[in-house]
Amino acid sequence: MNDVLTMMLIVGLILSFTILGLFIWGAKSGQFDDTKKMMDGLLFDSQDDLNDAINRERKAKEAMKPKTKSLEKE
Amino acid sequence: MSETIKCNHCHGTFNKKIMIEENALYFCCKGCQGVYHLLQDDGLESFYDKLGNKSIEPPLLTDFDSSKFDLESFEKRFVQTLDNDFKKVDLIIEGIHCAACVWLNEKVLYDMPGIIEANINFTNNKAKIVWDDSCVKLSSIIDKIRSIGYNAYAYDAKVADDKAIKARRDYFIRMMVAVFASMNIMMLSVAKYTGFFTGIDEETKHLIHIGEFILTTPVLFYSGWVFFKGAYYGMKNKIVNMDLLVSSGATASYIYSLYILFGGKGESYFDSVTMIITFVLVGKYLEVIGKKNAVDTLDKIKSQLPLEAVIIENNQKKVVALDELNVGDVIELRPGEKACVDGELLEEKATFDESSMSGESLYIYKNKGDKVFSGTINIDSLMHYKATSNFANSTLNSIVTMIEDSLSSKPNIEYTANNISRQFSTTILLLSFFTFIAWYFFEFKMGFVAQNASNFEQAFIVAVSVIVIACPCALALATPIASLVGISLLASKGLLFKEAKFIETIAKANKVVVDKTGTLTKGELKVVKAEFFDENSHKINLLHALLDSSTHPISLSVKHYIKEHYIVEHKQLLEVKNIQAKGVVATYKNEESKEYRLLGGNKELLKEFNIEFDLPISNTIYLFAVNEKVVAIFELEDEIKEDAKEFVQYIKQQGMEIIMLTGDNESVARKISQQVGITEFLYGINPIEKANYIKMLKEKGDIVVMVGDGVNDAVALSSSDVAIAMGNAADITISVSDIVLLNNKLKSLKEAFVISKRTYKFIKQNLAISLIYNIITVPLAMMGFVIPLVAALSMSLSSLIVVANSMRIKNEK
Repeated sequence: MNDVLTMMLIVGLILSFTILGLFIWGAKSGQFDDTKKMMDGLLFDSQDDLNDAINRERKAKEAMKPKTKSLEKE
Repeated sequence: MSETIKCNHCHGTFNKKIMIEENALYFCCKGCQGVYHLLQDDGLESFYDKLGNKSIEPPLLTDFDSSKFDLESFEKRFVQTLDNDFKKVDLIIEGIHCAACVWLNEKVLYDMPGIIEANINFTNNKAKIVWDDSCVKLSSIIDKIRSIGYNAYAYDAKVADDKAIKARRDYFIRMMVAVFASMNIMMLSVAKYTGFFTGIDEETKHLIHIGEFILTTPVLFYSGWVFFKGAYYGMKNKIVNMDLLVSSGATASYIYSLYILFGGKGESYFDSVTMIITFVLVGKYLEVIGKKNAVDTLDKIKSQLPLEAVIIENNQKKVVALDELNVGDVIELRPGEKACVDGELLEEKATFDESSMSGESLYIYKNKGDKVFSGTINIDSLMHYKATSNFANSTLNSIVTMIEDSLSSKPNIEYTANNISRQFSTTILLLSFFTFIAWYFFEFKMGFVAQNASNFEQAFIVAVSVIVIACPCALALATPIASLVGISLLASKGLLFKEAKFIETIAKANKVVVDKTGTLTKGELKVVKAEFFDENSHKINLLHALLDSSTHPISLSVKHYIKEHYIVEHKQLLEVKNIQAKGVVATYKNEESKEYRLLGGNKELLKEFNIEFDLPISNTIYLFAVNEKVVAIFELEDEIKEDAKEFVQYIKQQGMEIIMLTGDNESVARKISQQVGITEFLYGINPIEKANYIKMLKEKGDIVVMVGDGVNDAVALSSSDVAIAMGNAADITISVSDIVLLNNKLKSLKEAFVISKRTYKFIKQNLAISLIYNIITVPLAMMGFVIPLVAALSMSLSSLIVVANSMRIKNEK
């Protein structure tokens, strides 16, 4: 009986701490700062919107590169 | 029955007949039509899917000159350069009403080449834009935002802003960790408490304790860190505060529970530890977020400050930044524009509105060589003046510096809750200590305490339980919760409190000082008496035509009066001449070529044309004469606002004294104060004298509330205990004020007092509830009747009661 309890406790704790960790990651990256935008933004998940999101990240990353690229060329 | 239809862009409902029709589409204005097509062309139609059924504002009409955004002075003040030469600016976007608007702006900006980041916050409309200056200029970015029907302007994001956001986020995470742990621990506790009544295995209990230990440890050390820091600083300054109480109670309980975990006999208090930290942290978080909201809203209200001026150099017009203005520059001011630096008038004559600086409601007529003051508005026509000082030294700027000095020395009144928690904490710590002594040395045996535990263990548990049960949860929540409810109620009535603590300050105030112009009065001249010596309609038509030819506010007021009382026919006048500071003259020829010489203006105008006029009238007057005979006299006054009398009555009823201060002359001051019922007033005083008066009251020990709107009130406002600014106030005035009245109504000002007093009453009730609670439970703890179950229940119950009680604030009185 207590073995079952122990196992459940361990699994339960691991799961909940994982979720807590995910929450902390989300909060730290600023996702929870603007609650209204977050809630309404959940509805904007069409194919186009998701593509837009990826493109923005890619664009930002590429913009950070040009300096290093031009240095390499030289 | 008129058919109404929705505009295809903004979804506003209007009468079908007035809409612009295009195929099957309807638009309420050209702006909506333009933006609709722009969105279609750019492939952004999904905007309307996202918008759903919500409606937004039609596109705003803005001046399209965005070149000022590229000026060096603008850049210096608002733009930061990051690594890799990217630029960052903080903007406020006007016109955002829903998430779809946010989406549209972000999408349109990100689609522009050279934009690295365009992040818009929906709650406060602040946007952070990062761009590559070599690809795109800021002015193009602004143009793009305007093209889809929104407007953007820069705001001065202080460095503190970023830090405040990070601090709030940090608090939020700590609080959520505590809440997470609490909820999970409660589940385990259910099992443990049930076992208390129905019997439980030692092994199972041990397992539960381990689970609780794993959940509590992060809470104590991570979330609880806030209290350790607070207690440490408190002790450094020799103050016993609630943080000390919470941290000592939590730590003691934790250590004792650890002891139980490793083999001791008894109950563990891990759940109490988590719960105390959670409740008190929630209370603190509520206080922190309450502060930030008001500041955001006020940033939104602030309109643009002038950033540049037009000077004449070598007979050419040139736009320069304010910092670049030199003494001796010839500045050009359009009618309606504000002078940005002090100077000397170069025109023969000019008229200025100095009300925001001096409170004087009449316009000031100036001649060549007279001083022009910064912050005053040019009324009549395009004029030039020579700058006699640069921006840094101008009157406007020196008022700002005076204010900064005042603010840094603004004292705070002792807040009730802080007072109580200090005494409370000390008392509880002492009681706990005595309990320990009593149990250990005098061997009490009572209550539920574990039978087989040693004397020391028993004494320790009971002493710790005293601290735990005293649980400042209710005390910690008493003020923040009531304040939060109070503030949201106030906000719904158009009253913005920058900080919750002002609720208490207003409730305790005993003197109210009000400004006259713009606060008690509407700030505009209105006709109060009209006397006609020849009331035939022909003359009235002529009068109307004469009034129509001038844009002077007095002419507009009289014209408004005429239109309200008579039906007029338009007449064409000849040789209309505007005589500065005096009035208008014109000629009229009727069908029989009979000539009428028309004159409209003040006494000086009639004097110039040799017309006799001797009646002694102290008000502002407008005289109308036809062919050298006075036909009508109009007396104008600045009207008091609606509800002014009720407001004054209410203040007096509450036992507070009300005093009126004004820069205007005695007769006007006396008249207005009589109308509203104020007996004590001062007239003809300048901004510094106003501030000194308030300082004198404070020295006597009064708690002073000041209400004002002009730049001339700003110094006085910053010296008072609570500063209230009317919504139409100047920027400086709003930024030094603690409360802003968004709708200018005196009825709302009365509500500010009523709701604040009510909220403060509830704060006191909450504090009383939490104290009574403790008076009942602490003795129980001292007698040993408190176990973790009782502690947990009491904590939740007391907090719930305080929250429920605070909700009652919203019920109509």
